[in-house]
Amino acid sequence: MVAGIGIVAVLVAGCSRGGAEPDGDGGAAAASPGITDTTITLGMTTPLSGGTAGPGTCTVAGLKAYFGNVNAAGGIEFGDGKTRTVEIKALDDEYDPQKAKANYDQLKGSVFAMTAGLGTPTNRAWREAAIADEVPQVLIQTGDPLFSNKEESPWQLGFVPVYQNEGEAFGELLAGAGGEHKVAILSQNDDYGEGYVEGFKSAIEGADNIEIVKELTYEATDTSVDAQLTELAASGADVLFNAMSITPLVISSLQKVQEIGWLPSLFLPSNTSSPTAILEPGGAAALPAVYTVSFAKTPQSPAFAEDEDVVTFLSDLAEYADYPEAPAFPHCMWSYMIGATLEQVFTKMTEPTREDFMAQLRTISDFEAPLMLPGTSVDTTEDDQPAVSTVQVIKYNGKGYEAVESWDE
Amino acid sequence: MGTFLQLMIDGLSTGSIYAALALSIVLVHQATGLINFAQGGMAVLSAYIAWVIYGFGAPLIVAILAAVIISFFLGALIERYLVRRFERGDPDTAVVVTIGLLTLITGICAWFWTYNNQLFPSLFPLDTVQIAGAVISVRSLGTIVVIVAIMLLLQALFVGTKLGLALRAVAIDPSSAALSGIPVGRNLMIGWGLAASLGAIAGVLVAPQLTLTPGMMDSALVYALAAVILGGLTSPIGVVVAAWLIGILENLAAVYVPFIGHDLKIAVPFVLVFVVLLVRPQGLFGRKSVVRV
Repeated sequence: MVAGIGIVAVLVAGCSRGGAEPDGDGGAAAASPGITDTTITLGMTTPLSGGTAGPGTCTVAGLKAYFGNVNAAGGIEFGDGKTRTVEIKALDDEYDPQKAKANYDQLKGSVFAMTAGLGTPTNRAWREAAIADEVPQVLIQTGDPLFSNKEESPWQLGFVPVYQNEGEAFGELLAGAGGEHKVAILSQNDDYGEGYVEGFKSAIEGADNIEIVKELTYEATDTSVDAQLTELAASGADVLFNAMSITPLVISSLQKVQEIGWLPSLFLPSNTSSPTAILEPGGAAALPAVYTVSFAKTPQSPAFAEDEDVVTFLSDLAEYADYPEAPAFPHCMWSYMIGATLEQVFTKMTEPTREDFMAQLRTISDFEAPLMLPGTSVDTTEDDQPAVSTVQVIKYNGKGYEAVESWDE
Repeated sequence: MGTFLQLMIDGLSTGSIYAALALSIVLVHQATGLINFAQGGMAVLSAYIAWVIYGFGAPLIVAILAAVIISFFLGALIERYLVRRFERGDPDTAVVVTIGLLTLITGICAWFWTYNNQLFPSLFPLDTVQIAGAVISVRSLGTIVVIVAIMLLLQALFVGTKLGLALRAVAIDPSSAALSGIPVGRNLMIGWGLAASLGAIAGVLVAPQLTLTPGMMDSALVYALAAVILGGLTSPIGVVVAAWLIGILENLAAVYVPFIGHDLKIAVPFVLVFVVLLVRPQGLFGRKSVVRV
């Protein structure tokens, strides 16, 4: 067993050295690892097994779908005039920070940039190493604001809105409601849950029609939150702010509130609000309203069934990513947008270096990537914000979601 | 008062899930003297089997019964061709083998069915009934009833039947059992087979609530082991009562003991285990194992 691991490690080390060598051709600017005159290689570490594998698999599928289509059309013409195809090396980290770091170490010599990987603790695990090695860790799928702080994280940039953006958007909607509302909060006991609650609270500050009557937390490892919901139901709240990231827990909490006869309006984070994977099995149609935020068109929604972006996206997924069904997780769409954003950056790069890549990465503004909802766009020029920081509050209509401008009483 | 009662009932229904798995661990232990860490993984595999059969269009109850039967043979085969080789040796080795088996089965499930959460239909409707101001779902009620029935059946099997006696004899002293004419190997296979069938029932009871994923039983297994130790390895009734106690106390402690709260409640069953083991090393309901020298 140990010997086996040793052999694999040696092989991998051999490969990565092989990949880096041909770049020293003495051009104007020495090319960074992972880029040649005809290809560019991107690395990913993301959960492909374990509890977060559903969304994790999507992060790879979306990227492969986008670049599969691009490669089939011949590749991307970079700013230096050379046309390159895009290769993706994705490794499984099981949402385990140590594995993520090991994956990064394995990939850093042979890839040009690391991108699109999902997970806060996993991305944090190798953030400092990436800064020290000057390897881009960009457009990653975490709502942790640390990655979008340019001073602390010069080689990083988050893609999805930070948790605070989402909590804030919902808070604003609620604060603008005419009537009075009592809010119960259930949040995950980590940065994820705290971020949502922080954003929400900042948005309702000073709104005297909103009162938070009870706040509870749960652990990401819990198998049940029934006791919390029973306790929250006793608070008499009419709105439940449910900052939860665990799919089965969200389903069972939807069922639980109905069982105990408590029917609040509900807010769910964008990554745990899938109509087919969560709301339908949870019977969410029985609740007065379910809100979430989004910046991506949902393929399941009848409103987008004929949408050109959605049609191309679904066929790319099936053709290039071996993902035949409409994805239940938004991460597929997000990765697809990340692909489109990277393409924008590539076309601006005049030198095949990581430095130039990072410089160009921070110049994208008002870019409407495919699948983006109207009113949202990619903007990498704003300090302290991820590439996408605008979200649209949407409301469940029994099948999919539709945009809302105000709270209906 | 309503909240208090509700918390008790919530605890009873989560406790029943731990109980289902704990019962199959007790069964394997009674039959083979081993603690099988792979029991949770095997239960998940059985639930996947039921899910696949249901996917072919079979009625749910047929799919579940088929999975229970298939699991019996799977369990027996695993015993015969894998665990048998380690049973005579160091018990520590056998435990490590079962942990390896857990990882392997989880991996196999993931390979076939991915880590995506699959929806598993419930045998019981989503309706609820009101009892003294508390709401209890038909699903929880059904789970509790099934667990009680299995517990009584097992107790009857071990205490009241020749097979149960033979299973126990083989676990306690295989060589003497063999000398008195009991087919040891066949009994070991039956023990593992029965435990796997029971695990299958646990799996299909839990799957609708936790949604079917390869790691579905991982945290339930931890609680089930606590229930097994707390209730006593030799007593089916004991482990069920212990599992219920764990579910209820955990909830009550979280809500009514301010410094515990929902974040520390996972520690409650284990503190309970420590305390009980200090006072009664054989568990609340277990018999002392006596070794004659």
